[in-house]
Amino acid sequence: MASGVFGYAAISTRVRAMYSDLLTPQDINRLGDSSDFQSLAGALKSTPYGKYTSSLKDNELTPRRVILQIRQRLADSYSSVIQQAPEQTRPLIKQMYRYFEVGNLKAVLRSIQTVSSWNSDLPAWERVREVLFPYGNFASIPAQAMVDSGNIASAVELLKGTPYESTISFAMKRFSTEQNLFPLEVALDLDYWRGLWSEIKNLSGRDRDMGAKLIGSLMDLNNLMWVIRYKTYHKLSEEELINYTLPFGYRVKDEDVRAIAAGSDIATVVSRIYPNIADVNALLEDPQAGLPKLEYLLKQQVMRQCVSAFIGYPFHIGLPLAYLILSDFEVQDLVVLIEAKSSKLKDDAFRPLLLKTSMIQ
Amino acid sequence: MLFPKEMSEIELIVPSKDLVAVAKVLSGNGVFHQVDSSYLGIESLGPNTWQEKAASFSAMERRIQSILQSLNLPEDYPAKAEVGSMVDLDILRPSVERIEGEARKANDQLSAETKRLELLESQLRQIEPIADVKVEIGALQKSSFMHSTLGMIPSANISRLKTSLLRVPHVFFTLREDPQKPVVWILGSKSNSDILDRAAKSAYLNPLSLPDEFSGTPEQITGLLKNETELSKKKIAELEADIPKLAAAYKNDLQNMLWDVHISRVMADAIVRFGQLRHTYVVVGWVPTSELELLMSRLKQTSKEILIETIPTSRSGHHTNVPVALTNNKWLKPIQMLVGTYGHPGYGELDPTLLMAITFPLLYGAMFGDLGQGLVLFVLGILMHNKIFMGAMQSLGLLIAYCGASAAVFGYLYGSIFGFEGHLIEEYLHFHFEPVWFSPMENILGILSIAIDAGIIILLFAFLLGMLNNIRARDWAHLLFGHTGIAAFIFYICFLAMLGAFLGDTALAPKVAVAINSLPLPFTTLLTIFGVIVMFGGFFRNMVEGHTLIEGKGVGGFLMFLIQSLMDLIETVISMLSNTLSFIRVGAFAVAHGGLSLAIFSLAGEEPTPGFWITIVIGNIFIIGFEGLIVGIQTMRLHYYEILGKFFHGGGMQFEPLKLSPSKEEA
Repeated sequence: MASGVFGYAAISTRVRAMYSDLLTPQDINRLGDSSDFQSLAGALKSTPYGKYTSSLKDNELTPRRVILQIRQRLADSYSSVIQQAPEQTRPLIKQMYRYFEVGNLKAVLRSIQTVSSWNSDLPAWERVREVLFPYGNFASIPAQAMVDSGNIASAVELLKGTPYESTISFAMKRFSTEQNLFPLEVALDLDYWRGLWSEIKNLSGRDRDMGAKLIGSLMDLNNLMWVIRYKTYHKLSEEELINYTLPFGYRVKDEDVRAIAAGSDIATVVSRIYPNIADVNALLEDPQAGLPKLEYLLKQQVMRQCVSAFIGYPFHIGLPLAYLILSDFEVQDLVVLIEAKSSKLKDDAFRPLLLKTSMIQ
Repeated sequence: MLFPKEMSEIELIVPSKDLVAVAKVLSGNGVFHQVDSSYLGIESLGPNTWQEKAASFSAMERRIQSILQSLNLPEDYPAKAEVGSMVDLDILRPSVERIEGEARKANDQLSAETKRLELLESQLRQIEPIADVKVEIGALQKSSFMHSTLGMIPSANISRLKTSLLRVPHVFFTLREDPQKPVVWILGSKSNSDILDRAAKSAYLNPLSLPDEFSGTPEQITGLLKNETELSKKKIAELEADIPKLAAAYKNDLQNMLWDVHISRVMADAIVRFGQLRHTYVVVGWVPTSELELLMSRLKQTSKEILIETIPTSRSGHHTNVPVALTNNKWLKPIQMLVGTYGHPGYGELDPTLLMAITFPLLYGAMFGDLGQGLVLFVLGILMHNKIFMGAMQSLGLLIAYCGASAAVFGYLYGSIFGFEGHLIEEYLHFHFEPVWFSPMENILGILSIAIDAGIIILLFAFLLGMLNNIRARDWAHLLFGHTGIAAFIFYICFLAMLGAFLGDTALAPKVAVAINSLPLPFTTLLTIFGVIVMFGGFFRNMVEGHTLIEGKGVGGFLMFLIQSLMDLIETVISMLSNTLSFIRVGAFAVAHGGLSLAIFSLAGEEPTPGFWITIVIGNIFIIGFEGLIVGIQTMRLHYYEILGKFFHGGGMQFEPLKLSPSKEEA
């Protein structure tokens, strides 16, 4: 098992090169200045995403297609990192990448649930495929066959032999009585993050520390937003909140989640974990507007952790992980821009949602 | 053998009435590479009905394949399959539907019973651990004061469920520890039933639910479930036995139907790509010239009114649209595979398979020279080729055998057998074995020098082959000024002369370079002249090809041109030096092979004890596996980077003739 300088020399160099290809805040601002979707698509051609979007013909230049191509770059980054990462860290990166397959699986299930309400001559799969992440050769779910099966029970049958079989078979009992995808989606999310945490625990030394720091920060973000949203919007009970959240993370501890579940003041708990986030009370007063803002601030916390991973000793898993997280956030920014420009949103409606601002370099 | 087969373009005008018969001849002989000529058809004739027919045949083919799968039958064709005419799907369909119905019924029954068995076993797993609890399950569920939940839960959720229940009094039993489906039992007060239920539900605990007929104590229910499980297993065995019976009854019918539909589909697919005129069809494609006469006579026998025009295509000049059929020789298959990984030869281009069949084993053997280990590799390769050992690597078997044979020959020349050399052979193996040539370990600089010499000869030969390819392609610009053209070739010879002059007195000096240097020629002047020509090769090529002489405009463009030309020259010199010195690895590996053997001997000790021989055997296995692989990679590297790049471009279109049944390899 190669680790340290020997194991990370090549991948660190490669990741640093790929890191320098990430868009700068100035690039994002310049893209945001595009007058409409067409000019944004044109401006994207002069970025590293150009080689992905330039394959689209003029009549294919739709927001969905462009987003798909942009995501392809992220998929390629994952593929490249997985191939070059030291063998002992590959299961972690593969599990991290599975986030997108879990997203695809949820999208497929949602499409099956709602397909009857679609009023379109286009086959269901043709509509669904464009919103799926281009997971490529790593895919383990038979997405098209699932969509074609036409109902959730038959689609879930097709998951036999995949990593999701066990999780989804437990959750199906609840789906068949409640006819709601919520239990399936929560089960998939929990299983994904537990798997990721367990892969971090399989590492050792600096790799384990960096994994816990970076992925733990992402977990904190999700765990905290879950418990707040379930409590605020779904009005779930204490025991449900505990069962639908995770007992581990980097800064958010089990006690924090349980305190919120038990009825403690959310703002106090959040402020204690993140003292540098100001006015949490004000954010939570109007959850509709405040919670997305809080999520945005938490994502920036994660970005800071990722940027700091590139400073100091470079021969550990932190660099590849940080690069992949930052790439994902960059894609999220581009999706915001594409959707904003295609919906003709005003600047002040979308700029505050962009993660890559001048404050994080 | 040295060049791809000569091809002829063939154009046919087929009367509509003979369409299917002609399609059958074209598809059945495996010599016709079809070109899509549907664009030649008349669009106003409406949609091509053959597309619908091809789709119907394809759907029927998949349907029959799926029936075969459901009956666990291989998707084979009949042993003596004859090519009939196109099948009528309306006649075939009722038979397919009947067999499909029977197969589906049997499979559905089996699937339903299997699911029932799974459910029974799951219930049994849950109830068995509490078999000694003397209370009726029904009473437990309807208790006035106690709330009970027994069921299975994802193991990852257990600790979270326990945490979520901390605030209410309860008893929690893990009845069955199982990494996948543990069984738990939660008991608490009836007043807390809401909390207990919510917690269990949100932890995805699936409570045990028993049908009404299973009542009584856990012990009684366990007995009932065991009985039902046994009955279910028997039923499944009966149902499973029905499937082979069905398969035996319908095997021949299904295989015949699959064959009929398959050939109909292949022919319909071919016809879809014919150009449809009012009363005729236009067919365009390629046939190896050697097969043309036979195909034409068959076509004329099939259709009296067919019009055939053939255009032989010379193998000289550029022909990017001509499919390339390589000579099939089973002994060269593994080498062809190596060439194919690099690229498929273009039409008219020299096929490097034969050259590589000589150089690959030669270089491998020179690096891995050992009589004993070579013979082991040879036998191993033969066993692999015949699927007796490591059958999955059958395609590499012959290559390994060739390399092994070459290694054995070089081992004989080097005087090395299983790592034993010189006095060690007499001391431990008790026979005399002298190197016929010399031992690399005893003349390290000599072997390195010979390796470079061999590399120079191979590279010079590769240059000549590159020029031959350019002559055949009538690519005069590249023949004269290309990177492997005449100017570069002369420059390389002058470069070698300089190298010979530089290393002249040293033991490492390549003899070929020294010999070139001894020729009475003004190499320094020639080097300068041809250096300038190589430097401005792009300019001269543009001149010959009639392109803009200097790309770019203005002073910046000219400066850029000069810089690029200079960089071209530097790159050429560096690559010539590195290409030449790259072959030093052949000698280095021959030395390393001896060194590795010495290391094994120093580990084994001096006394020929059993431990000594065990170490020698393990060491030899290590050398054959580890060094054998590395030498293979190095040999491949030498071919891909230093040799093939000199004369082989690849990029040819593969000859893919219409075939009714797949070849052995495709199957």
